[in-house]
Amino acid sequence: MRAFDYIAPDSTESVVAALAAHSPNARLLGGGTDLIVDLKHTSNTPKVLVDVSQVEDFHGIEMTDRGLRIGSMVTHTEIMKSEIIQKELPAMVDAAHTVGAVQTRNLGTLGGNLVTCVPSMDSGPTLLALDALVTIAGPKGSRQITLEEFFVGPRKTCLEPDEVLVDIIIPKENVGKPTHFLKFGLRKGQALALVNAAASFHVGDGNIFSAPRIALGAVAPVVMRATKAEDFLAGKEITEANMAEAGEIAVTEIKPITDFRASKEYRRELVAVFTRRCLAGAYALHQSRA
Amino acid sequence: MTDVTLTVNGKERSASVPPETTLLEMLRSKLNLTGAKLGCDVGDCGACTVLVAGKSVNACLMLAVQANGRDVLTIEGLATAEAFHPLQKTFEELASLQCGFCGPGIILSAKTLLDENPDPTVQEIKDALAGNLCRCTGYTKILEGVVDAARIMNGKQDAA
Repeated sequence: MRAFDYIAPDSTESVVAALAAHSPNARLLGGGTDLIVDLKHTSNTPKVLVDVSQVEDFHGIEMTDRGLRIGSMVTHTEIMKSEIIQKELPAMVDAAHTVGAVQTRNLGTLGGNLVTCVPSMDSGPTLLALDALVTIAGPKGSRQITLEEFFVGPRKTCLEPDEVLVDIIIPKENVGKPTHFLKFGLRKGQALALVNAAASFHVGDGNIFSAPRIALGAVAPVVMRATKAEDFLAGKEITEANMAEAGEIAVTEIKPITDFRASKEYRRELVAVFTRRCLAGAYALHQSRA
Repeated sequence: MTDVTLTVNGKERSASVPPETTLLEMLRSKLNLTGAKLGCDVGDCGACTVLVAGKSVNACLMLAVQANGRDVLTIEGLATAEAFHPLQKTFEELASLQCGFCGPGIILSAKTLLDENPDPTVQEIKDALAGNLCRCTGYTKILEGVVDAARIMNGKQDAA
């Protein structure tokens, strides 16, 4: 690695001040599982690395008035071990479990996974399916936007060079919402997703889909919602046929590419099947709780 | 230069290193602890696995300064003067390793598994070792070594 300066501020304000002083020559260091690899293989080394792991605001998993707050520096291992997430949102545990291997999950963070913004990120689909919000701090204070707005393109978020991701919030009404996540990789361990997917819905009176959400990864420039499939399901009876139909509709919404991992045709097949299975998985979770 | 002080294998060790020094480089080059290996250098192979504050990490993906002030366990610190760790014992008896390059990482990953889950299933062992690649053995004897070590640690079998 080429030389850089290292600072580790201990407050959100001092991170923002450091970015203001050094951007665009500064990079934020979270868990480092992506960034350190990049720094070893790029000539475009930042002058200053700002380690944000010491900032207390970026840690912790807790229920607040607005919903479940997860600090951006919470590791994938911490998500897997969180009792409240295990109980209320087991799909998040499943998604975290598919990230890398134990060593990378011990270092890698939820915020880092989102900020890196690769289309195959494993944290994205479940959080999109739960209408997650993100808090961003910058020189003008903090702002909150939807995770959907946060994703802009491959490896591109809406973060300005002097802004930092503080936390992720699952809105209160969605904490406990039946959700299911699935990932298809070429191996069981340490594989990137050919497709990953999540679905969530509440079971409405008369056994109907209420607030259905379908989110798909690795089939478009960013993790995306299949809104036409969601609209189709809303208000309809929960049946296997409707789940399968939603899968077929979702296929029409994606923009998959062919790369060395899979062809776009194969990804389309996976999306039809995974959408159906995620919906079925969410329903099974609902039934197991009843 | 940055001063980094670690508690490595129970002893306080310090070095002055440039900020871009990885924990692995500091262990190997400054502290002469060459048990952790430089394999892929991108966090895939697990040959550099060490425990920081009790958690397994890829030392090639962590800056030394990020570990400042924390406890680090490397393979050199696992055995005591009196005895090998049960994993070291079973791996030796079963010839679980061939060239041995992956061994320090595999044994440390297995140790953290057994510390948290004393009686793992074979699937749980595979999951725990997913970040440690071995290109010699095909893993069968490694899995057997972990199973046997768990038995010894649970007192189900004499440490013969």
